[in-house]
Amino acid sequence: MHEALTSIPCRREIIRAHKESGGRVAAVLPIHYPRALFRAFQILPVELWGPPEIDPQYSKAHLQPYVCPLVHNALSYITGPESEVFDLVAVPHTCDSLQGLCSILTDLILPRQPVFPIYLPRGRRESDAQFLANEFHALYRKLEALTSLSPSEDEVMACILREEDADEVLAELNRKRKFLPLCQRDFYHLLRSREYLPAERFCELAKSFLAKAENESRDKGLPIILSGIVPEPMSLFEFIERAGGVVVADDLACCGRRLYGPGEDNDVFRRMAKSILSAPPDSTRGSSIQERADHMVRMVKMSGAKAVLFYCMKFCEPELFGHPPLRDELNKINIPTLVIESELSEASLNPSVGSLELFLETILCG
Amino acid sequence: MRLTDALRYYVNTRVMGWTAIRVNRLYSEMKTRFRKERKDSYTAPPLRISSRTKEMIARHYLDGRFAKPYRKVAWVTSGAPVEILNALGFHLFYPENHGAICGVSRTAEEISGEAEDAGYSPDICSYARTDIGSALSGKTPVGKLPPPDILVACTNICQTVLYWYGFLAHHFKVPLILIDTPFIYTEASDHSIEYVKKQLEAAVPIAEGVAGKTLDERKLKDFMYKSRIAMDLWMEILGRGAHRPTPISAFDQFIHMAPIVEMRGHSHTIDFYAAMLKEVDRRIAHGIGAVKNERKRLLWDNLPIWHKFRFLSETLGKHGVVLAASTYTNAWAELAPMIDPEKPFESAARAYLHPMLNRGAGHKLNTMRRMIEKYSLDGVILHSDRSCKPYSIGQMDQRTLLMSEYGIPALLLEADHCDPRYFTDARTTTLLMAFIEMLGQ
Ligand code: SF4
Ligand code: SF4
Repeated sequence: MHEALTSIPCRREIIRAHKESGGRVAAVLPIHYPRALFRAFQILPVELWGPPEIDPQYSKAHLQPYVCPLVHNALSYITGPESEVFDLVAVPHTCDSLQGLCSILTDLILPRQPVFPIYLPRGRRESDAQFLANEFHALYRKLEALTSLSPSEDEVMACILREEDADEVLAELNRKRKFLPLCQRDFYHLLRSREYLPAERFCELAKSFLAKAENESRDKGLPIILSGIVPEPMSLFEFIERAGGVVVADDLACCGRRLYGPGEDNDVFRRMAKSILSAPPDSTRGSSIQERADHMVRMVKMSGAKAVLFYCMKFCEPELFGHPPLRDELNKINIPTLVIESELSEASLNPSVGSLELFLETILCG
Repeated sequence: MRLTDALRYYVNTRVMGWTAIRVNRLYSEMKTRFRKERKDSYTAPPLRISSRTKEMIARHYLDGRFAKPYRKVAWVTSGAPVEILNALGFHLFYPENHGAICGVSRTAEEISGEAEDAGYSPDICSYARTDIGSALSGKTPVGKLPPPDILVACTNICQTVLYWYGFLAHHFKVPLILIDTPFIYTEASDHSIEYVKKQLEAAVPIAEGVAGKTLDERKLKDFMYKSRIAMDLWMEILGRGAHRPTPISAFDQFIHMAPIVEMRGHSHTIDFYAAMLKEVDRRIAHGIGAVKNERKRLLWDNLPIWHKFRFLSETLGKHGVVLAASTYTNAWAELAPMIDPEKPFESAARAYLHPMLNRGAGHKLNTMRRMIEKYSLDGVILHSDRSCKPYSIGQMDQRTLLMSEYGIPALLLEADHCDPRYFTDARTTTLLMAFIEMLGQ
């Protein structure tokens, strides 16, 4: 790991510090949610993308084996001892599996913490933006009841602006990725610290790296685009690197699909809603295949990628439906693609390493 | 539209096709009348109305086959608000029903194999896989499917339809109307109802554009009115399952639910269910049970296992076990009271938000408990359907709670509604036998 990255505080430290300062902490499931709204109530959102390498023993008593590993792990984690630090759980209705998880937590399993569902509309129409703004307003009322705080519009707006700054810095990191003195895994470690760092801490850290940007590209290897939900286990980047590839852009739910633009509205709820709806195309938000394909083709052209790797979570329907038509569209511009499946563990990734090596090798030789 | 198109449509369907189908039905009714009842069967003979069900389905698919270019075709999800489309004269095609037909006719494996060959994962819903396979290869057990002019997907059953209809829109290059229905935990919020209503209103000009005509509100109200009557009748029929012995089993319900899903809102659907209700009442009057020597009564949860109908009904029937009710068929009945033809958009918004699949796991558990009481049931079979996550997630806890808190024996049966690869007769028989033994005498 890059020396400077060791200075990124880990989740535990951040959670502890936030709690010591009198704040609350929310465990938030993927993918989209209003960070600023939580912060306005002095709640630090900490995202749970699984987490990986969890023993899903507990979840096996509640969820069938054909539910994706992310949801299995999340349930095991939420109901396990480590989640005691969380004061609430927020579950965006990203897909049927997360919706189902939220539903059984709320009605049947009843964890220690209150559970807050967040319904995300599946379009980008004006009615979708207004509905989402209303949802956020309803969430405001619930958080108000939980915390006995009533942040003013100005206070919420201040939090929104802070998040928008962080989003802008995140976008800048993506733009400058090849000039940063970081290996791929470290770069994604930095990007993903946005999943739990307060926006201001993230900005500070990211800017310190942007200041170290070099003039020449450090990218060596076959440029590829990584598409999927979450790049776990993170050793994936080492495998890609060893096989001769380098990730030059991504279409990951935890990263590239959350490059939000500012909301452009004076109403705080509408502003947060519009910002989320401004994100790049995403299978879980009802983006059409054509929108997604156009976005990927654009990414290929801008990044100079020579291949696309679809890194898919087992049983993830939103992603699985998209692969064949997206691959067809990419094939039309002579971009080879590969799909590999994983289950959030090293053990599940290992069998795919051979095909990844072969895939990249074939392109490099060809 | 040209006159010759209309003429061709009416000659091919109403004059020739329907007549042939009717003759076929009359012949099959005659055969049934003179057929001796099989003494070795554990179940009652099929309802007489079955031949009319077949006739209605056959006519519907025939209409679809000859729809173009006279009628526009809409492909819709089973929970889609179809009254607007009906009022605009669309022919409606339900890929899920087609999936069920493929399941029953055991062609689903071959057809979905076409989708798998094209790169679609065997882990996606088998209805979707079958439909995609059919769209890619043209294979279908019903002759030929009418390509869509428009697609309408409503998320009140699952998010899967979002990705599935996304494929269809991309493949057929036709507009997709999405009706997004926020999930309900306790009750629908005002802004959710408003959101759905706005989407329904916004759908009208798009559908009008494709249909080439303007929506006639009187027609819309009429379709809503008739939908409601048909749903009420369906609800009454299902309610008759509470009699002992139960006159119709869940298997009968699965077979006869096609019109309420595909053809609600039409006068002939009302006539059909009125006739079915009469027949069911006749069975009650004569003490005829769906299963001979009914001993135990069960609830079925989730979609049917379409490819194993006979096996399951025989295996259960042999032991005097009847499936007296099902949460699945109930789904098309419970919304009826919410439909108000005088407020077509608002009441449709409310009704289409409330299917059981769009509500919390606790609501389903309560529904099951209510049904257990109403139908005097002895146990529950929860079909854990690997294809249908929204229906299946929660079943493990629901089963535990049914057993521990309410003392109701419950079995979790792993399978897939269309894909036979996840079902083995031997394993299922063993499980069912153990469960039946557990139910006691
Ligand atoms: S991995 Fe896919 S199926 Fe699982 S929670 Fe994420 S979006 Fe849903
Ligand atoms: S996932 Fe379930 S509800 Fe959705 S289309 Fe498939 S079977 Fe139907």
